[in-house]
Amino acid sequence: MSSYILRRIIQTMIMIALVSYVCFFLMSLMPGDPIELMLSSNPKMTTADVERLRELYGLNQPATTRYINWVKTIAHGDLGYSRTYRVPVTEIIGARLLNSFILSLIALIFSLAIAIPLGVFSALRPNSKLDTFVSIFSFTGISVPSFWLGLLLILIFAVKLGWLPAGGTETIDAEFSSSWRYFWDRGLYIILPVLSLSLQQIGRFVRFVRSSMRETLQTDFVRTAKAKGLSMHDVIWKHAFRNALIPVITIIALSISTIFSGALLTETVFAYQGVGKLIYDSIMANDYNVAMVSFIISVSMVLIMSLVADLLYGVIDPRISYS
Amino acid sequence: MKKIFLAAMSLAVLPLLVQAKPTNKELKIGISQEFESLNLLIASTVAAHYMGPLVIRTLNTLDPDAKWYPMLAKQIPTIKNGLAKIVTVDGKKKIVATWEIIDKAKWGDGTDLTCADFQFTLKVGTNNNVSTAERETITLVEKIDFDPKTPRKCIFTYEKAKWDFANLPQFYPLPKHLESEIYEKYKAEPLGYDKNTNYVKNPTNPGLYCGPYVVSEMKLGDHVTMVRNKYFYGPQAKIEKIIFKLIPNTGTLEANLRSGTIDMISNLGLTFDQALALDKKVKAEKLPYDVQFVQSNTYEHIDLNLDNPILKDINVRKALLHAINRDDLVKALFEGKQPPALHFIDPKDPWYTADPKFVKTYRYSKRDADRLLTEAGWKKNDKDGYRYKDGKKLSLSLMSTAGNKTRETVEAYLQEEWKQVGVEITIKNQPGRVFFGETTRKHAFEGMAMYAWASNPENNPRSTQHSKSIPSAKNSYSGQNQPGWVNPKMDAAIDAMDLEFDYNKRLDLAHEMVKYYSEDIPVLPLYYRADISVVPKNLKNFRMSGHQFYETYNAENWSLE
Repeated sequence: MSSYILRRIIQTMIMIALVSYVCFFLMSLMPGDPIELMLSSNPKMTTADVERLRELYGLNQPATTRYINWVKTIAHGDLGYSRTYRVPVTEIIGARLLNSFILSLIALIFSLAIAIPLGVFSALRPNSKLDTFVSIFSFTGISVPSFWLGLLLILIFAVKLGWLPAGGTETIDAEFSSSWRYFWDRGLYIILPVLSLSLQQIGRFVRFVRSSMRETLQTDFVRTAKAKGLSMHDVIWKHAFRNALIPVITIIALSISTIFSGALLTETVFAYQGVGKLIYDSIMANDYNVAMVSFIISVSMVLIMSLVADLLYGVIDPRISYS
Repeated sequence: MKKIFLAAMSLAVLPLLVQAKPTNKELKIGISQEFESLNLLIASTVAAHYMGPLVIRTLNTLDPDAKWYPMLAKQIPTIKNGLAKIVTVDGKKKIVATWEIIDKAKWGDGTDLTCADFQFTLKVGTNNNVSTAERETITLVEKIDFDPKTPRKCIFTYEKAKWDFANLPQFYPLPKHLESEIYEKYKAEPLGYDKNTNYVKNPTNPGLYCGPYVVSEMKLGDHVTMVRNKYFYGPQAKIEKIIFKLIPNTGTLEANLRSGTIDMISNLGLTFDQALALDKKVKAEKLPYDVQFVQSNTYEHIDLNLDNPILKDINVRKALLHAINRDDLVKALFEGKQPPALHFIDPKDPWYTADPKFVKTYRYSKRDADRLLTEAGWKKNDKDGYRYKDGKKLSLSLMSTAGNKTRETVEAYLQEEWKQVGVEITIKNQPGRVFFGETTRKHAFEGMAMYAWASNPENNPRSTQHSKSIPSAKNSYSGQNQPGWVNPKMDAAIDAMDLEFDYNKRLDLAHEMVKYYSEDIPVLPLYYRADISVVPKNLKNFRMSGHQFYETYNAENWSLE
């Protein structure tokens, strides 16, 4: 088991190094370097300005040299400097990562809390009114564009009812008498983004749980468990549900891996200070340092979570062994 | 189900919340563009320069009437008022000007703002390890001297004797008492000063600011809070606190305004079509806002690639212009809020002229367009309605930024207009990043490219119209003469303009430039864009500038009554 984990970790590290180079190289192929973008908004920049800035930012060097320099900087623990915001990358990315993590995690937990029981009950009563309602609900969730849903939620809860703020991360300039007041304030700002983000996830998870559960309920061991006189609760939750979890875990693990990538549309619509929009803007502005750090985090999360999922299969299903 | 439907319906008919009027206590302004740290010497985002004048003042700026206006300076030096003179040093003409800083000018921590700060700024701005984006303004000044006994009387020596030597709205002073130590420590390291300046490390230090406000909180990517600067040289700002809130999705700006999250939408907010729609709602629902449209100097136009064999022919260029009904275009698409353009100088610019002596106009006439195209050898084919010459169809590509609704509508309009005179137009739009980063920059569009230029009043169009500004690998593609226009007379006028100190002669040169431009038609003028702000009805003394030196220049006078 430990040699398997070690092997996978080494594979993951190699993969991260390869992907980081590919990302860096692809970004360097994008039309218009950062200085050209500055030029397009400032016609007064002269040839001398262009040459000077290219040299200052090291953009006059080939992509491979720039990549090696970037790796050297990272190796020294320095994540670099954002050309867009003109601050060290750590300053701009740290708080946003945390915000995205909070938003995505709450949305994921909320989605699972709703989707798992809905999916299970729906599978237990196929073609019932409940099943039809859940199916409509989940397909609606999957189909509704998240930006449209976001706008609708803002219109109802912020503009018409005035119950919740239309956008932001927390009340600007507010002084909180206690930590509780602070959490309450943050909570108010996160409700609408969580709802917007969750609806799609719920729809997706419900479909997976339902179909996996339906398949498991028709297996021989479930029939045997019922024949042995076990209570329905035990049959469903101890036997059927545990086995139905394997495909669901894959989906959940992949969802967790996106937790640090942020949710671009939701964050943009709700002016939520997350990492999703930062990644998008950094790519569009050729802000290499920010984009590369974001890529590495995303890629690492995907690889780590797929490793975790593989390990969890073994925990849930004793037939799977890595020894 | 019925109950759910009824509940949904009741929500739909709920009246909108009526927001309380903002007061002088606080004004929350929504912007949709990202901002950076407010070290304006190195900042390059439009948002930073929009907010900048609230916290940092320069010697002078341009007001909404396109008149130069002293801020930190007691008076703007001119040759006429004797504060500036042309001197000859080693056979080279230079200017020596006296800028006297007003006595009350202080930094936000009470330290006097003196010539030493400008001297220090010059040193920082010209260091190659500092990422000053555009050094033209800075490098105009060769040196700054002052007598320690009169530390506010600065003697600026300018490298060249140029008429616009006193236009220094981008010479943003840095506080020497706070920044000097950091600069000395990091000046030899590439980007060392940029990374460690107090504007990045300690942006709420009031000593960094000399405007009517100081930054009290800054969260990049979210908001900036500014409070009154008690050491401001002018009258104390009427509004206690101003917050700039970043709302990146322009589609939600309106909802944020109506829910009270923001009180106002800045010029860096709504798109034109969104503003038109909101204006209608504001009027229909009697909402407490004004949607203000002000004609700006942003000039929407179509660059013609003069290397294209079809467009090389002046008759074809003339015909293309004759075939567009620009009056109808702005009326139909913009409800007249963005006026048609005659040339690159806008009507608010003192250099503007519509005099037919200089400006050759091409009135809307399909007949003239037909005649000119026929004269150019392009004969109409009755079968498909298009024109042909030597078996080749008169077909041109029109490129612009994909996803820009206004531009896409204009393209469709033009396509139809030109089709009527037998010209086929193929629309080939690209994402802005590719269009500006590669296609226009490298003169790589086949036929026509539609976009806009923003400039300032009395701007010498060297970067866009001088033949030396045709982008090429040789000049690192830094020129913006994208059509590839070469006219020696135009070059001579541009060269002469810089050195002309007589206002009337400059005016003559500007009119001469307009003449060459309208005769040669390297560009098809379309319209001047509007700047848009949505302000609370009770906001007084707010006036949009319509140029690159924004309305925030007099924020201390804004008042919410």
